[in-house]
Amino acid sequence: MFKVFMPAFALLFQEAANPGRFTIAWEKAQHPDLSKFLIIGALLFIIGVAGVLTRRNIIVIFMSIELILNAANLNFIAMSRYLQDTGNVNAVAGQIFTVFVIVVAAAEAAIGLGIVIALYRNKETILIDEIDILKW
Amino acid sequence: MILSGWESVFFWIFSIAAIFAGLLTVMARNTIHSALFLISSLVSVAALFVLLQAEFIAGVQILVYVGGVMVLFLFVIMLVNVGSEERGNEEIFNRPRQVTASVIFCGLLVAVLIGALNTGYAGFERRDETKLHESAQARRTRDQDLATSATGASRITNDTSRIGNSLYRFASLPFEIASVLLLVAIIGSVMLARTLKQEASVDDVDPEVLRTEAAQDPELAEVQTEPVT
Repeated sequence: MFKVFMPAFALLFQEAANPGRFTIAWEKAQHPDLSKFLIIGALLFIIGVAGVLTRRNIIVIFMSIELILNAANLNFIAMSRYLQDTGNVNAVAGQIFTVFVIVVAAAEAAIGLGIVIALYRNKETILIDEIDILKW
Repeated sequence: MILSGWESVFFWIFSIAAIFAGLLTVMARNTIHSALFLISSLVSVAALFVLLQAEFIAGVQILVYVGGVMVLFLFVIMLVNVGSEERGNEEIFNRPRQVTASVIFCGLLVAVLIGALNTGYAGFERRDETKLHESAQARRTRDQDLATSATGASRITNDTSRIGNSLYRFASLPFEIASVLLLVAIIGSVMLARTLKQEASVDDVDPEVLRTEAAQDPELAEVQTEPVT
């Protein structure tokens, strides 16, 4: 038992004596910068991709697409803020792009849900593996 | 754009909330639950926008997404999900092989993206280190002159006016195109969701088609056609 935990204790003491990797990571966590926002955006994007690829319910797939678009928005805003700080001239462009992404997402949701309603009226299902009219 | 103090605390709270709510959106069994989780994820991302000093976009996000799109989603779920209680414990994911393949793909994406972002950002930071420092100083002195907000907790930024200026000056053509796109979306979704009965009642359907359909559906034969004005 002692042998197992000894390396961990040694690491802790070493950590206290001279700041190593964990202290640096803690310092970085206290001051999130652009890369943290980009990583959050990437994670949200991947969760959305996983939702699109794995779920059966077509409405949940639409919601995963909203999640993907939202991750792109987060990246746009974070980059826009970074460019403002580096003194770029037209740094608000990222925020304007985000407005257009939101507009397109709203239009896409309206059309997609209209299609879902028409489909449910004809096929009585919203599970994508039962919607195989185009497959033969 | 390095956050510090309470900003970083709120950054971690809201980013973890956004990711967990996103995961639960994908994994919830009940569709209404996943819609509600998506709403909380979107609100958390709006809070991250506030931390990035994009207050206007945060407001748009909450008004348009949460107030508009998600309410539309909830309406459609309630229209379409009739009888989901009877089919309570059916499979919500695709076949196991498809799920395994996509989960492996997404895991690879996570590993590659996080590695690439960390190394890439290190290069960014090295390039812009002095500029970032200078602009942080400049921002601090500039923000001193801004008016205090009504709560007294922070200063009013001029972010919204800058967005408005650029939106109508540099992006006025895409803005107009977006309005046309929204119009097309409205008309298209109304057209798609209309039933044959509703089309027949305003005399908007071919009489030949109407006669063949009415032979199968007696309700359709009784529809009185109103004259189109």
